[in-house]
Order: sequence, then structure tokens, then C-alpha cells
Amino acid sequence: MRTSNRRRGRPATSNKLVAYLLHHIQSLVFSLGKIYHSPITTIMTVAVIGITLSLPGGFYLFLKNINAMSGDIRSTTQITLYLDIKLSEQKARALERAISKTGNVVSTEFISRQASLQAFRETSGFGRSIDTLSSNPLPHTIIVEPVSSADTFAVKNLLNALQAMPEVKIAKLDTEWLERLYTILEIAKRSVVIVTILFSIAVLLVIGNTIRLDIQNRRQEIIVTKLIGATNAFIRRPFLYGGIWYGLLGGLMSWLIVEIGYLAIAGPLNRLNLLYQADLMLITFTFQDFIILVSSSTLLGLTGSWIAVARHLNQIEPT
Amino acid sequence: MIEFQNVTKRYPGGYDALSNVSLHLAEGEMAFLTGHSGAGKSTLLKIISLIEKPTRGIAQLDKINLKTISRHRVPYLRRKIGIIFQEHHLLFDRTVFDNVAMPLIIQGYRHQEIAKRTRAALDKVGLLNKEKSMPVTLSGGEQQRVGIARAVVHKPMLLLADEPTGNLDPVLSREIMQIFLDFNQVGVSVLVASHDLILIDELQKPVLTLNQGKMIHNDLNRDQYDQEVGGFRSPQVNEFSTGNW
Repeated sequence: MRTSNRRRGRPATSNKLVAYLLHHIQSLVFSLGKIYHSPITTIMTVAVIGITLSLPGGFYLFLKNINAMSGDIRSTTQITLYLDIKLSEQKARALERAISKTGNVVSTEFISRQASLQAFRETSGFGRSIDTLSSNPLPHTIIVEPVSSADTFAVKNLLNALQAMPEVKIAKLDTEWLERLYTILEIAKRSVVIVTILFSIAVLLVIGNTIRLDIQNRRQEIIVTKLIGATNAFIRRPFLYGGIWYGLLGGLMSWLIVEIGYLAIAGPLNRLNLLYQADLMLITFTFQDFIILVSSSTLLGLTGSWIAVARHLNQIEPT
Repeated sequence: MIEFQNVTKRYPGGYDALSNVSLHLAEGEMAFLTGHSGAGKSTLLKIISLIEKPTRGIAQLDKINLKTISRHRVPYLRRKIGIIFQEHHLLFDRTVFDNVAMPLIIQGYRHQEIAKRTRAALDKVGLLNKEKSMPVTLSGGEQQRVGIARAVVHKPMLLLADEPTGNLDPVLSREIMQIFLDFNQVGVSVLVASHDLILIDELQKPVLTLNQGKMIHNDLNRDQYDQEVGGFRSPQVNEFSTGNW
């Protein structure tokens, strides 16, 4: 019974690989089964993770919307060039064509001295007094619209380049309020990063603690499996899969929470759109955002359980 | 199989649980380990099952030094042993079948192989009809037999049992011991710690007696250290003696 049979019965290498994969699947299903059989613990843990992650998720979505709106604002940013008053209209138009071909410029508009004067006369209410002037004091004007993808820095660069042209007397961009907006956006972005980091740590701790309790509850089982020759990797596996499940479910829950929050806001926002005849479109999670949210939550689950397992599993040894 | 040369186990505080213990259990041999509580039986078994490390001396299992073995090799060496505990250490959240199958799952056997071997082990201890039961529904003797099935399911080279009949009545105890004898019959080395002297007396196997950490009686002591390892033969049951008892 023993000597020959023993050798033959040992799993061959290819079978070992199959068995290894099989154990992974078993651990996966087993840990899911455990989650299913202790619904209260699971629901509480998943809820904590979901709510925790919905904060950075919601904040991120909010920022994404603000960014999209500011993108619209940025696209209306214009640089006004007041040309040298002595420049002929022909040369001014040539300059406009040249500028329209430079980088970061999406369009240009030429306003001649005469047109400016005409417009001024009609809108300012100083028509009479303008007529008393001996010559037209207004220069030719070119309005330059930077490409919408250009950030503050690129717009500034463009402005400086235009200002440096000899034909340009004054290049003007009302950047102050724009800079303020960008600064606020930058602060908000960094806040999102900080919030995300802090809340991710919170999720790590929550999952780590859940897995730690799980390990303590199954202390006896761990000791027995160690005594019958289980490797640490083998014992670790179901706990790691447990962490993965918590992370995955928590991620899905946070997505759900943010989506519900979005729906809650969508109604009043649509009314606001009607009232202002504005075109504010709320952006929700894209599929990519969803994948990133859920996979990073799953990764947090794995990491949290890994930390717990590394800390506590080695302490449990048969005595 | 088991080779101890002047092994001392000193616990923190200076207490010697074992002092200068030497023994040699050859492959396929069976012996009993006796002594009062606190004599060092458990410590000796713990050293063999890699739960404790010896403080001094050489302890070897299957020619592997138990003191210097690296941590990650411990599980693989333990797979060569089947351990039977007094409190059988069954897991109550799964069936008898799943309890017995554990060593095979750990070692990565294939599904069909696991089912086959687990049933064979359960059959061996007479519990094939209980494979779907939960351990809690079984009697003490049945639970102990499930523990034995689990210890032998992966066909270990060595069976270690710590007071396997401690809580059982004489009839059940005899049945359990008979199972050990059967395994020994097919070539498994067996070391049983027990203080059931009447039963040991009946079974006619070599006896080791510990007293306050010292080996005071050793039926296995036949100047084996002078011989080449492996040159040892099957146990000589006639040499049995009850020693100082």
C-alpha cells in the first residue's frame, strides 16, 4: 500500500499547476461563501467602504464638472491687439493673417479703425464729440482667440509673443479673474488628491480590521492547517480574496451612492438650465471612471487584507 | 526516521523540559512514549512536529535537522508526518469528509484523487457512512477516528499521536490502538505518547519512558548510533519490557 503507491499518488507537475489554480478558484468561491453567510458584517464593512469612497468619488465628479464649465469659459478667452496707429490697413490685415496661422490660435478677427469708430459712435453716446476730432484716434484692432486646450501658461506665452511684435502697441488679456479661477481649481484638485489619499487609508484600515477579526475568529483553523503542512501562502489566500471581495463590493457601492447623488442633483439643475437658458450639462462617471473607481477599491481591499494578514498570520503558530 | 542525540529543551526561565534525551526510531518502527504528566512527552512530540525547536543536541526527522530547518520548509516537512491530537482539533464548520480531505487539498491533489483517498481513509477507520456528517454530531471515539483519518489520508511516513485514547473507554481505546498497529503493519513509523500502561502492555511494542525530562527507559536503545543510519531493521517486538513500571 505504501511505498510504491505513495510516489505514484503524488501530484505531477502539470497537475500541481491545475491544483494551484483550482485552489485559487476554491479560495475565491470559499471567501465569497463566507461573505454570503455573514451578511451583517459584510453589509456593514461594504457600506463603510462605499460611503468612504463616495466622498472622493463625488468630489472628483464635482471637480470634473467645474473643469468642463471652465473649459467653456476658457474657450471664450480673447486677446485684443491694438495696433500701431500709423499702420496701414493693408499691413494690418497681413498681420492678422500671419497671426491666425501661429500655434495656439484658433481664430482671429480684424476690426478696422473705421469700423471701431463707427461702433464707438453708435454705442458710446459720444457721437457728437467724436465728430469734432480732426482724425480717428482709434487704431486697427485684431481679436485673437486662443485654442480652448491652452492653459493659463500657454495663453500667457501667446500674449507675450504678440506683445513683442513691433506692429502691436498693446496686447490685452483680462487674465486676473481667470487666474483666480484656475487657482481655485488647482486648490480643489489638490484637495481631491488629499481627500482621496486620506479616505483610501481609511478604507485600508477598515478592510485590514475586518480581515484581522476574521483571522482571529479562525485562529483554530489556521493552527490546524499549519500543523498539517499548509504553507503561509495557502493560508493567506482565502483572506486575500476576502479583502478583494470587500474592496470590489465597496467600490460598486460608492459608485451607486455617487450616481444616486447625481440623480438627486440632476432635477433642479435641469430647471436651472431652463430658467437661464444655459447649457450646463452635468457630467457623470464615464465607463473609464467606473473601472478606475472599482479597480482601485478592489486594489485597496487586497492591500488592506495583505497588511492584516502579514501582521497577524505569522503570530499564529501552533504551541 | 526520528533521531535524537542528547537533545535538551530549555524553556525561558531555565526549566528543562527535556534533558539529554537520545532516541532512534527507525523507518517502519513503532514505539510508545510514556511518563507522568510533565515528564516531557508533549515537548518531545512538539520538537518532532516542529512546533518547538531543541535548545541543545541534534534532532533529526527523515535526516533533516529540526533545529536549523528554514521557516519556509517547515510545512513541507510536516507533510511527512500525520499528527493525532488528544483534542483531535477537528474543524466544526465543515463535514467529516472536508476535515479529512484537508491535508490533500493543502498538498494540491486533484479532485478525484482527493475523493478517492479521503473515502479510503474514512473506510480504514470505519466511518465511511459518516462522511457527510458534521463532526459535532459524532461521539468522542468517532471524532478521534476522524482525526486519525485526517492524519493518515496523505500516507505520511510517520504517525505521531499525543494521548490519542486519553478521553476514551477501554474498548474504544483498544480499537484506536489497533488502527495504529494496522498502519505500522504496512510500513508507517508510529510514535504514540500515552499513559495507558495496561493497554501498552498488551501491545508488545518498544516503550520509551520519560521522567522529569530524562529518558529513564528506552527499548529502542541498542547502540544504534554506532551503526550506519538506515542499517536498522524492523522492530523486535520480543524485546518489549515494561521497564520501571
